[in-house]
Amino acid sequence: MQAVLQILITGLTLGAMYALASVGLALTYGTMRMFNMAHGVFMTVGAYATYMAASLWGLPLPLAFLFGLAAGGLIGAVMHLLVIRFMLDTEGFEVNIIVATAGVAILLQDLLLKYYGAYPFRQPAQIEGVFRIGDIAVTYQSVGILVMAAVLIGGIAWLLTHTRFGLAIRATAMNREAALLMGVEAGRTYLQVLIIAGVLAAAAGILISSLATLSPDMGANPLLRAFVICVVAGLGSVTGAGIAALALGLCEAAIQYYLGVRYGFPIMLLLVIVVLIWKPAGLFGQQEVVRS
Amino acid sequence: MTNASSRRAFLAKAGAGAGSLAFLAGLNRSAEAQDSSPVIVGGPLPLTGAVAADGVEFKRGLEMAAEEINALGGILGRPIQLAFEDTESKGDDVIISAGQRLIDKHNANVLISGYNLGSQTALQGVASAASLIYLHADTARAHTDLVAKEPDKYWSCFMYCPSELYYGFAYLDFVKHLETSGQLKLPNKKLALITGPITYSINIAKSIEAKAADYGYEVSLYETVQAPTSEWGPTLAKLRENPPGLIVVTHFFPQDQAQFMIQFLTNPTDSLVYLQYGASLAAFRDIAGDASQGVLYATNIGVLQDEIGLAFTKSYIARNDQKASPNGGGQTYSALHLYAVAAALAGGPGTPYEEEQNRKIAARLKAMTFRCPMGVIRFDQQTQAALSYPVQTKDPSLGMAHIFSQIKNKAENGHIISPSPYDIAKFEKPAWMK
Repeated sequence: MQAVLQILITGLTLGAMYALASVGLALTYGTMRMFNMAHGVFMTVGAYATYMAASLWGLPLPLAFLFGLAAGGLIGAVMHLLVIRFMLDTEGFEVNIIVATAGVAILLQDLLLKYYGAYPFRQPAQIEGVFRIGDIAVTYQSVGILVMAAVLIGGIAWLLTHTRFGLAIRATAMNREAALLMGVEAGRTYLQVLIIAGVLAAAAGILISSLATLSPDMGANPLLRAFVICVVAGLGSVTGAGIAALALGLCEAAIQYYLGVRYGFPIMLLLVIVVLIWKPAGLFGQQEVVRS
Repeated sequence: MTNASSRRAFLAKAGAGAGSLAFLAGLNRSAEAQDSSPVIVGGPLPLTGAVAADGVEFKRGLEMAAEEINALGGILGRPIQLAFEDTESKGDDVIISAGQRLIDKHNANVLISGYNLGSQTALQGVASAASLIYLHADTARAHTDLVAKEPDKYWSCFMYCPSELYYGFAYLDFVKHLETSGQLKLPNKKLALITGPITYSINIAKSIEAKAADYGYEVSLYETVQAPTSEWGPTLAKLRENPPGLIVVTHFFPQDQAQFMIQFLTNPTDSLVYLQYGASLAAFRDIAGDASQGVLYATNIGVLQDEIGLAFTKSYIARNDQKASPNGGGQTYSALHLYAVAAALAGGPGTPYEEEQNRKIAARLKAMTFRCPMGVIRFDQQTQAALSYPVQTKDPSLGMAHIFSQIKNKAENGHIISPSPYDIAKFEKPAWMK
């Protein structure tokens, strides 16, 4: 029983972080047909911004956290304004944008390295303390990660389904030309999507760094997992990405416990292959793209 | 101030390596400078990626040594100039490219690194192909096997620390001694081994696993984690289900070890925790905070806490910052001083493919007994790896000390508790143990 509880706690913590990392990626792909290779470095930017605000400027943690989210959103907006909008209507956009965003990622990572160095700083955004369920100690940090992920992902789902803003995103995703004819400004919608994706990535980065440390390449591993999750869920499915992230987090924790830690990620990848053979469009993949 | 008096003043203030500095200064004084071109010291270092915490220190160590040596006139009048290439904490392909760039682009006179990942035989190939001296602290059996097998090919490659294999029985010897001397009473004889995906970690875990039964311990868990690992829940669940008396983590990334301790202490078992190497770095204490206190670690290339070691530590931290790790920087710092003296004795540095001169330097390196902040570097003649004290030699003046330390205070380096005569503190039972 204790083992099951521990697997649940670890799996949900991992899953919540994966979910935050993958939902933004799914949203971007679903709306723009764009696989954002800079999504991982958005996480890094958010994590370092929070660290800088809390440790170097002495801001209270909630403000530092918000500053990190804002930095993620800002970097998403800047990338859209300086790079993406010029490529949107070009031939071969879906492939070219992968190369372009990979270039942005390398540039940003190198700038972070230049400015902060490679020292593995401790993320000050931590919630100290534990409580017990039976003999299992649960950290408030894990609970905080779960709550934060639920609030942010729930907020995004609500935005997409209950607001005119969300309607515009979904309309643009389904049929850009039709949306334009109905008065939706696609360029502005894309900008908003990149900002939201940046905010979500930053949140993931802050939470991941609170359980690990800061480093300029800290986004690479979560990006890989986020990509895997998006593929399993069906590229572009936002809710699907959230569900798949939690499921894969739990699955990985169970494999780590019962078979060995080293088998966690490889077996997860094997499961992904099986899923894709069975459902090539992913578990939640359909014809349309952004689906709440 | 005259040149001579400024050198005297510098020596008086020099934090470390005063003996080698004085020796080098003497050689420089007697040399007639015929060539003032810089000596390029190439550092193929892991400046980014998972082990960058160490890479940064390796760079600082080289910079500090170069400053000191240049203040004394360089190597026979030639100033040292540093060139770095990032090996990115990656595998042989990246490491080989970095080493090759240092030779082809920078025309390095020598390659000096701390450690790199990969097979730990990559740079030996690069250096031997260019007949160039290469000094490293990979702590790898791969080096000793390679050099012992093909000494004619790898004559220019030196590992200025012992191999990782000694960690296994040195650890078992150490805990057995704690038990038999009454300093430690374990609740059981179970030993949990947690290793990582890198050869160094695996070799150490395997060597402990192979010998544990001889010392009366039973390996109750052998777990391999991924790198990096920040979520230790499943591993800790296994430990808590079957609590061992001894926990050994040979996965050595300081940030991962710090997370292990933070998560372990939320519900600790009655176990003595030993963390391989990573805990010797300031980054570990910085991240783990209070959870670092009581932890045991060992390194076979760590700064001693004697007169020379403490002076180096003081200078190193003053030159860098409070978060700097002398244990990392001290490695390359010592290696550059060692090379400078050997090259000066051999009549000057060699260039790439200049086999004759580089062979002279190699011969000097093999013959030297060199005292530095990390202890004594004296090379085994077959493997060209530094001899270990007390594992390979019982004379502390002839081998590099395999030191065990315990962190008593998160703000300080661990205190050396073994071996004699370098120990400065006694083992204390960690607060989480019953």
